[in-house]
Amino acid sequence: MSIMETQPQKILRSGWNAYVNDYAISGGWNYNGQVLIICDAAGGIYVFDGKSGEVIWSQGQVHEGGILSAAIHPLTDRFATGGQDGKIIIWNTCQKNREKVIDLGDGWIENLSWSQDGEMLAVSCSRTVYVYTKEGNEIWQSSNHNSTVSNLGWSINKELATTCYGCVSFFDGMSGKVKQKLEWKGSLVSMVLSPNSDIVVCGSQDNTIHFWRRSTEQDSMMSGYPLKPSALSFDETGSYLATGGSEEVTVWSFKGNGPEGTSPLSLKLHTKPITTLAFAHRGMNLASGSRDGAVVLWDLKSENEESGLSETSVSDSVSKLYWRPDDKALAGLDRQGGVTVWHV
Amino acid sequence: MDISSNKVPVTILTGFLGSGKTTLLNRILSEQHGKRIAVIENEFGEVGIDQALVINAEEEIFEMANGCICCTVRGDLIRVLGNLMKRRDKFDYVVVETTGLADPGPVAQTFFMDDEISSEFSLDGIITLVDTFHINQQLGRSDESTEQIAFADVIVLNKTDLVKDTELDKLEARLREMNKMAKFIRSEMANVPINSVLDKSAFNLDQALIRRPTFLEPEYPFEWTGIYSTKPGKYKIIMSEGPDPSMSLVIELDQNTDDVSLRNGAEHCVRLYAEDAEIIKPSEIIPKGKHVNLNLESSGQKEFYIEIEKDTKIALFAQHTAEEFNMKLIEVDNNDEVPVEMERTWVAQHEHDDEVGSFSIEKDGDLDEQKLQAWISKLLREKGVDIFRMKGFLSIAGESNRFVFQGVHMIFSGKPDRPWGSLPRRNQLVFIGRNLDEKEMRKGFEDCLV
Repeated sequence: MSIMETQPQKILRSGWNAYVNDYAISGGWNYNGQVLIICDAAGGIYVFDGKSGEVIWSQGQVHEGGILSAAIHPLTDRFATGGQDGKIIIWNTCQKNREKVIDLGDGWIENLSWSQDGEMLAVSCSRTVYVYTKEGNEIWQSSNHNSTVSNLGWSINKELATTCYGCVSFFDGMSGKVKQKLEWKGSLVSMVLSPNSDIVVCGSQDNTIHFWRRSTEQDSMMSGYPLKPSALSFDETGSYLATGGSEEVTVWSFKGNGPEGTSPLSLKLHTKPITTLAFAHRGMNLASGSRDGAVVLWDLKSENEESGLSETSVSDSVSKLYWRPDDKALAGLDRQGGVTVWHV
Repeated sequence: MDISSNKVPVTILTGFLGSGKTTLLNRILSEQHGKRIAVIENEFGEVGIDQALVINAEEEIFEMANGCICCTVRGDLIRVLGNLMKRRDKFDYVVVETTGLADPGPVAQTFFMDDEISSEFSLDGIITLVDTFHINQQLGRSDESTEQIAFADVIVLNKTDLVKDTELDKLEARLREMNKMAKFIRSEMANVPINSVLDKSAFNLDQALIRRPTFLEPEYPFEWTGIYSTKPGKYKIIMSEGPDPSMSLVIELDQNTDDVSLRNGAEHCVRLYAEDAEIIKPSEIIPKGKHVNLNLESSGQKEFYIEIEKDTKIALFAQHTAEEFNMKLIEVDNNDEVPVEMERTWVAQHEHDDEVGSFSIEKDGDLDEQKLQAWISKLLREKGVDIFRMKGFLSIAGESNRFVFQGVHMIFSGKPDRPWGSLPRRNQLVFIGRNLDEKEMRKGFEDCLV
């Protein structure tokens, strides 16, 4: 891994910040960037005005036992939440309305994901995956996976990708038919698809990263991480993959014949393990957060002269970083319930 | 693998179906201990549990591609604990109730191998409940029950009302051969004191030797204890001829009959037994709370006297069983025999025929650090799969502090402890495992001595 001397400049400018009632666990910007939706671990929902940070509406205890996951609809004013109560709620962002409540019983709803066209919502509950229409009507459900489903994601071709112990599966989003199974003996704790959906990358419990090129089913492994690589992010072109799994942000280049046989870039500014990574929607800006609350903005424009543009911090371990759709603002969520928005 | 005190402690409750795990869990939860306890259950209990957050999670064992058994972890625990730790109103304590068929290894390893879990939670101890009525058959039949015994920090012998005392004593001796590290408790309906199962800090090296001077349960130098209710007055012990010309004895006052009191009394007597015995001849008075040696050389029946000042229960901790000498306690005034209120035998040795066993190495002297390191790394590399647990303290040449260590399979951790000071420098190691070659390991260790 190469080491670069970096000198951050002031690029992240303070916008607003607020607090929710507990660990800010999930959320995101709505499709037009006008509101920021935040869910906390105690089961509270907060819809903030994206510019001012004022609370448009909020509601506590929407899931008994707490919220585990949330997904913001990519094209309309809708979002979905899932919790320890085994329920999925589809909300109207503007009206504080529950458009639909789906009760799956005893299991935890740990993953939610809207398809890229916004027509389907995938949900995982224990070892089963359910796919609904955007109104919340069930289209299909899977048979049991090997273990509890750990991640969900959609390809550009309306395929649903799932991970569990030992396997990445691709289902046809409309029919639920299994299209591809990629096996690896390990617990896959994180997953990301490249923008063209040809590469699927997973972080594994054994501190490695495993990835497959779906067209050839050729797989490779990256090891040497001291911790679980649970944060992963591709840039918009699919050329760069940023990974956590240590106090450094490790960036692999998929250009040419890479990353096999190449050395990754090591971005060193954090002093505690990376918890979350987010490439901007466009361009080469990468945001990273770590366990001590540090947030760093990196510019990876040139492959060899990457640099930390800006460093700031929130009050505690950073749980999520969300770029606004226009990439002109970044929201950071933290363990203490802090919600911070910076202008970029 | 080091554990600091602000982490949430986790107790693992193992034991076969029907051994009383849920009963014990209910007892823990209903007790007024002021703790907010979260329970992770891998099987639906026989009894409902109130007053606590109970999370049902199916057991998920995640082996790694590298094939290393110490990397095998429990995915369900990582997932559930990972979510629990996000809440601000955190729990003070977590109890994990495993299925009867659970292998305790991956459960324990999860708390050392997963960075996120080990930074928030500390493994406090492994409690194994034993259905004393069925365990003998189970031990022969399944690896899981054997491993649950071998990994335990505390073994609760439950349902003792269904089993004869002599059988219990034999069972305890058998299980002690398998696990010399564990504390034993007996109970009928899992009615054990809560502080005997929670907050044990069994994996915490900082606490390891503060709470107890040794990792080993004592070997009892007496074979039999009888407890009698007595009033103020004079009593005599009568004894017929028996197998020995003398018998060691300690008489303890104020001895309660419950299991914990009895064990405390027994531990106290182990210390008294270490002192020189006062020889008592027939017709003499036996001093209380002292190690005595009754002289039984003369032929025929012998009598020894005891003076009691108050209403109390007395315990005779005797080198031999009452039966062997037809020993009786008689109230002198009315010549009535005092019935024994409770008795138990302490089986000193048990024939070792289980695959899983434990042994200890206790040696004076200093160790050569380099040789020791080489020996331990070779041992773990070659035998780590078979070594379930180990603990010990060591005297390393040139170091003024004691070195304490513990391990689960190949996961080994150790650190310097407090200074030796005026204490004699010695080493104590306990190993629990399957088919361990005790002779070879002893030799390997002794070769490390300076």
